[in-house]
Amino acid sequence: MQWRARPWRYFARIGFLSLPLVFVSAFLVVPLVLTVIISFWERVGMKFRPAFSLASYLTVIEGARLKVLERSLIVAVEATALALLIAYPIAYFLARKASAYAARIVLVLFTIPFLINYIIRNVAWTSLLGRNGTINTVLMTMGLTDGPVDWLLYSDFAVLIGLISSYMPFMVFPLVLSIGAIDRQYLEASALLGASPFTTFCRILLPLSLPGIFAAIIFGFVGAFGESAVPIIMGGVGYELVGNTITSSMDVLNYPLAAALSSIVVMIMLVLMLSWYLIFDMRAFLGKILEWRS
Amino acid sequence: MQPGLPLSRSWPMWLIIGTTLAFLYMPLFPALLLSVRGEGGEEFSLSRFQELWRVPLVMNALRTTAAVALAVGLITPILGLLAALSIRELRMPRLILLIMLLPLFIPGVSMGLASAFLFRVLELPASLPTMVIVQVVWALPFATLIILTVMSTFDPAYLEAAYISGASKWRAFRDIEFPLIAPGIFGAASFSTIISLNETVRTSVVQGPWNTIPTYIWSTYKQVGLSPALYALMTLVILSTVVLAGTYLLLNRPKKVSTFDVIEESAL
Repeated sequence: MQWRARPWRYFARIGFLSLPLVFVSAFLVVPLVLTVIISFWERVGMKFRPAFSLASYLTVIEGARLKVLERSLIVAVEATALALLIAYPIAYFLARKASAYAARIVLVLFTIPFLINYIIRNVAWTSLLGRNGTINTVLMTMGLTDGPVDWLLYSDFAVLIGLISSYMPFMVFPLVLSIGAIDRQYLEASALLGASPFTTFCRILLPLSLPGIFAAIIFGFVGAFGESAVPIIMGGVGYELVGNTITSSMDVLNYPLAAALSSIVVMIMLVLMLSWYLIFDMRAFLGKILEWRS
Repeated sequence: MQPGLPLSRSWPMWLIIGTTLAFLYMPLFPALLLSVRGEGGEEFSLSRFQELWRVPLVMNALRTTAAVALAVGLITPILGLLAALSIRELRMPRLILLIMLLPLFIPGVSMGLASAFLFRVLELPASLPTMVIVQVVWALPFATLIILTVMSTFDPAYLEAAYISGASKWRAFRDIEFPLIAPGIFGAASFSTIISLNETVRTSVVQGPWNTIPTYIWSTYKQVGLSPALYALMTLVILSTVVLAGTYLLLNRPKKVSTFDVIEESAL
């Protein structure tokens, strides 16, 4: 065995290679565990001390914050579903119908708005959607409405626009990857055997692209459910989702409550991530790298 | 390579794609257009940008942003390369990949809050290093995925050839693999820099007294709302992101094989 011949070198190499793992564990896994621990701390006056208290979780369950969690869940599911409905046909078209050159250009065009700070993009939406904004001006000039439309900004509609434009571009990529990896012959065989395009879609394309759909849903949902800036910008004063409830708990220095809310959100994400990991193999993401090993 | 449908049949889909892209690009225009409008209402003026130079807070934020982005752009690709190599070399590659992708699954506020707790416990004051650490954790999954993609186009037979010729693992990596995957590493560097330039929510929790341009925009917006100066700053962020993204695309231009061909090939 390798390690018996040169044990020092062997372990040095393993240690060196696992640096990124150590980094992520130290600066993400440990802090998340710490968050869970702090969520059980108790409040004494304005200070906190280590304890095992369920007070923060009781505050979440009893108060208006359960409503906030419920609303966050509904808004996040709506945003993710709508984004998926837009992203899936586009991804299918790019992976299966467009030329490789055109598909690459379109994917690049999707990357650029994704990369640009979504807070900047959302702030810009307010100047487009507001009462005196561009869209209302256009609508009134065209004579479609008499007065400015109020629900365009500071509403559920605005929050959905903000969430979809923030996270939809990122959902296209896993979909393109998984649809592109489906063997063309399955689709052809289905058509040759007389299945309608709709049957082929339901029985072949959809099941085979599930890993990509699930990955896209996770990316959209993680973004939308934990989002803290979009509800402030697009929802306006008093619009609370769990993300900005966490930041406002931090602003009033109620760290155990912020930690409890954050832990609930992270737990939901981890359950989603683990089910993705257990249900689907990640070959679409690892590709040839794993084939080499066997 | 697939030839693609003729336009006569595919135009409805192109219309949908065009509309979606218009929806995504629309929010970039208010900043770009309003930042070049002069104080007296002139059509084109750069006075808003000249004003920025006189605000010490903005200049400090600019320096902080540059320093943090540089550090993140240097550290992340190195860790990303090691991560990609560890997925190939160590046991349990799927588990390693899952841990490396973990930051993608954690919402920004939760990540910021958790890091703030850690730095408090370690008694590390909010400073440039804490901002760099948080941003590297966030950029690392992207860098790892980019390097993994480039690595998957590299033919392992080259490494075999190097070993047969008597090269050590390190020598084979340095002389054969590294030059071939270098574009991916530089691509990961520019991608990490872009992420650092745009990150706001995580950074704003651990920044302490330091502001970056995005966190300055965010806190100013929350306190006083939009202003022409803010539009000018947004324009700076948008333009530098586009320039860096262009650099990234130039570095990762598909030569003979593109990611698409790899997918196509593995599908056959």
